[in-house]
Amino acid sequence: MSSIKEKFNQISPSEFFYRNRDLAGFSNPTRSLYTAVREFVENSLDACDQKGIFPDVHLSIKAVDPDAPDPKPYILTVKDNGPGIESKHVPLAFGTVLYGSKFGLKQARGMFGLGATMAILYGQITTNKPVYVKSSTDGKIQDEFELLLDIQKNKPVILKHNTKEVTKRGLSVSICLEGDYAKAGSKIKDYVYETSLITPYATITFDDPKGEKFHYSKIVNDMPPAPTIIRPHAHGIDVETIRRMMVESQFEIPNIDDAMVEKVRKDLGLAKNNLAFTGIMDKAKKRWKTLSKPVRVVIALMSFLKMDFDKLNKIRIEDIDVPNKKLYYWDFGDSQSKSVDMDPESQYYKQLTGTVQGETLTTFLTKRFQRIGPSTAVKFAEFAGFKPEKRMGSMTNEELVKLSDSLQKFEDFLSPDPSCLAPLGEEPLEKGIKKFFKPDFCAVIQRPASAYSGFPFIVEMGIAYGGEIRPGGPHVYRYANRIPLLYDEGSDVVLKVVNDTDWSRYKVKGDPPFVIVTHICSTRIPYKTVGKENVADRQEIERELRLGLQFLSRKLAAYMSKRGQAEMAKKRANLYAKYLPLIAQFCTELAGKTKEPNYKKLLEEEIIVDDKQI
Amino acid sequence: MTTNKSKDRKQKAIEKQQNIIDALKDHGAKVYGDLDNGQFPKFSIPSRSVSNIVYDKKLRQYILGNSAALRSSRNSSQLRSFTQLMWLAFFANRLTQEKKSSTLRDVYYSSQAFAIEFEDQSESDNIIVDLEAVLSKPREDFHIFPEERSSIFGDLNIEYTIPGYEGKRMNLSNHPDGYAIGPSLTTAELVDTSAEIVIAIEKGGLFTRFVEEQVDKKFKSIIINTGGQAPRSTRTLLKRLHDEMGLPVIVLTDGDVYGEHIAMVIKSGSANAAHLRELTVPDAKWVGVWATDIEKFKLPTIPMTESDIKRCYDLQSDPRYQEGIWKKELDVFLKIKRKAELEAFSKYGLTNITDKYLPQKLELAKSL
Ligand SMILES: Nc1ncnc2c1ncn2[C@@H]1O[C@H](COP(=O)(O)OP(=O)(O)OP(=O)(O)O)[C@@H](O)[C@H]1O
Ligand SMILES: [Mg+2]
Repeated sequence: MSSIKEKFNQISPSEFFYRNRDLAGFSNPTRSLYTAVREFVENSLDACDQKGIFPDVHLSIKAVDPDAPDPKPYILTVKDNGPGIESKHVPLAFGTVLYGSKFGLKQARGMFGLGATMAILYGQITTNKPVYVKSSTDGKIQDEFELLLDIQKNKPVILKHNTKEVTKRGLSVSICLEGDYAKAGSKIKDYVYETSLITPYATITFDDPKGEKFHYSKIVNDMPPAPTIIRPHAHGIDVETIRRMMVESQFEIPNIDDAMVEKVRKDLGLAKNNLAFTGIMDKAKKRWKTLSKPVRVVIALMSFLKMDFDKLNKIRIEDIDVPNKKLYYWDFGDSQSKSVDMDPESQYYKQLTGTVQGETLTTFLTKRFQRIGPSTAVKFAEFAGFKPEKRMGSMTNEELVKLSDSLQKFEDFLSPDPSCLAPLGEEPLEKGIKKFFKPDFCAVIQRPASAYSGFPFIVEMGIAYGGEIRPGGPHVYRYANRIPLLYDEGSDVVLKVVNDTDWSRYKVKGDPPFVIVTHICSTRIPYKTVGKENVADRQEIERELRLGLQFLSRKLAAYMSKRGQAEMAKKRANLYAKYLPLIAQFCTELAGKTKEPNYKKLLEEEIIVDDKQI
Repeated sequence: MTTNKSKDRKQKAIEKQQNIIDALKDHGAKVYGDLDNGQFPKFSIPSRSVSNIVYDKKLRQYILGNSAALRSSRNSSQLRSFTQLMWLAFFANRLTQEKKSSTLRDVYYSSQAFAIEFEDQSESDNIIVDLEAVLSKPREDFHIFPEERSSIFGDLNIEYTIPGYEGKRMNLSNHPDGYAIGPSLTTAELVDTSAEIVIAIEKGGLFTRFVEEQVDKKFKSIIINTGGQAPRSTRTLLKRLHDEMGLPVIVLTDGDVYGEHIAMVIKSGSANAAHLRELTVPDAKWVGVWATDIEKFKLPTIPMTESDIKRCYDLQSDPRYQEGIWKKELDVFLKIKRKAELEAFSKYGLTNITDKYLPQKLELAKSL
């Protein structure tokens, strides 16, 4: 048994991801450089977002030897003005895989707890150089670390740690990695540019290895409200998730070891005295209200076992068989398994079965899901054909499947609470689009929150036409949780929806100067890969994208026909200005007059008519 | 008497000019007035669409029905063609006033001097037809002449009216190649003639033969080469010879469906010119070569082509081919599916056509 466990441990998560680094976007020097940039920039933006700080992120890439040919080592540094990381967490955050603070159900760019570590890992493998992290959480003291990763053990090795006085808060990471800027450059520039479009409240600077500087200052003065952590929504949640939630909801049978016994004694005020069984029970009854749940469970067990502390020390609880009302235990003294009957009338019976079988269905629903109150929970139980007080732990596999099906079908749940989401908002999105593309026309929409597999999401979209937009559109800018998605376009749900649209229906023809911006916000973006580049086509998301795009397309069509009219009117006005004088000239001679007729009135009138039309 | 008659005719010619000039001035004044009153000027143009072309049995020609299209300068899609039409009226006015002549191609190029662009000549040709329709006058009346030249020969005295030649006289039998029918001839006074008939013939080769064989003298005729489908100036001249000089007109063509239709157009006009009424000689007679002549004169033949046959079927539905010789010959053409050219008579000697065939046909014409 124990040997198997050890073998599992031999493949640490670090090693697992090292072996699967392609998935995480570290397949070659070009892609890796780009992915590393992303991971650090996104961490900085996440950190600032969560604390409501206007991000000021500085990215720099410098070649170690500028004259060497690509691929070659580069030093990548990302510095921010965010909250920093507490000194003791720094090695863990940057030195272990799957360490992250963003697993809770709220929107963030990071999801997996491995982005930064993967980048550091990649750097270390390709250049054998440590990572430098400088972090100040108070703007006074800065912790400076030099770390290496122990891949086998999934553990950071601290090479150096010292502190320094500073005046600014924030974090800076610097790694050395093998990269190919010649090839990755344009993608990285696109990334920085597109990121600044979707984070118009951030200032981003980029010093590239060739000495070029890119600076995008913030263009809106409001931070989108920070998301809050919330529980999942019932719609579309699957059996596996329910099972996992149930495990959490069940109180484990406490392991009655010395420490546990010590605790029970202390709570009963019997740290010194040694009371007999009945005395213990009396004491417990008196103090019941003040006892913690684990202690209550131990007392309940003792009531059936009829044992004092000494005896309790010599046994181990094996099973609580609720249907047969039997309690099994291993007696170390006799070296054999024994059982006692449990009296269902006993006041302790309920305590025990409640613990073993977990919460009732209604409690489970109201406590573990968002937007479900007690009355909805009861209504749902009726709908699903369960008793409201049915214990979760007593559910058979079939019942669990039925429960999960019903959760998806029940229509009276309120729509998911979007407070865990942080969409950009229509106004900043529109401002960003206008600033970036300088279009003639722009429309944005934020769709109401929806959910897929119990995860809420919101689709935001913008559409822009004309002005300084280059022809050859639609140019699609895809974002998910404020991350621009640049690779693997072909297989993305957004592209699918855009390509399904017949643009000629919306009066968009030829080689249009036309931009579409989509932003999907969710607590879990259904990425196809860990590399976060394309979104899988979940039908709920596809539907929202479609509705959003339709709404905007109709607006565009209305604009296009107006634009067509205006263009026509202008053309017409030009025509009149050109031809009326000629007509005047010819008819003057024909009519044998010398003075031309006063046709200017007509020109003016025509222009007025057109103004009214637009 | 002759002088009186000539004075009359001169008077008439002047009047005709004046009518055109007046009509143009009227239109100009109307447009001027509209503009001055802050209104968009417009023209009503008789519609020349197929649905508005009808056959008038009384007039024995195609005419335009009652529907008319409005060309308004307010409508931006018509503004350009409205301006073109105005320019053409203006240009025609100058031509007529200055007694200068112009051709379709000339008009196309002249427009460019006035910043009026025509996409191609067919666009300007179309506008010319528009003006014809508005004025109900052929373009020759406002001094725009076709390029194609046909010719005339015979004892006919004319007197020029064009500037520089006014009053000058000419006899049209002095030059054996014949005289080109151009603007000066079309507008000339027809003074007198000893001829008793006009023979219009389809082909230049036969025209030369007829002159050589002195058909003009032998048969007291004026010979006209139509050069295929007779140009409108030629048709105008034919009409004038008929109306003003009282001469009958006979037409001699190849023995095929196209020849038959050349004769028909001289007699009753074409659908293309349904807006004009002074181009037809309703009394003109087609004397050959008929389909029935092919058998009768044992002429060498050529088989009809697909398009010949198709043309026969087309004409069968034309109201003018529903009776008489027109219908009969068309049916025979369709039956024998063969055709013969005028030159086919040469099989029996070069002068066979003038010695044998023509006299027979002239005789026959009297009874047609
Ligand atoms: N610039 C920063 N400022 C503050 N905290 C940071 C910063 N960078 C990383 N962190 C902390 O380190 C943790 C690990 O980052 P890492 O990129 O490995 O994972 P993640 O961002 O949670 O998920 P993902 O793998 O999707 O990027 C983060 O969850 C965050 O708590
Ligand atoms: Mg991250």
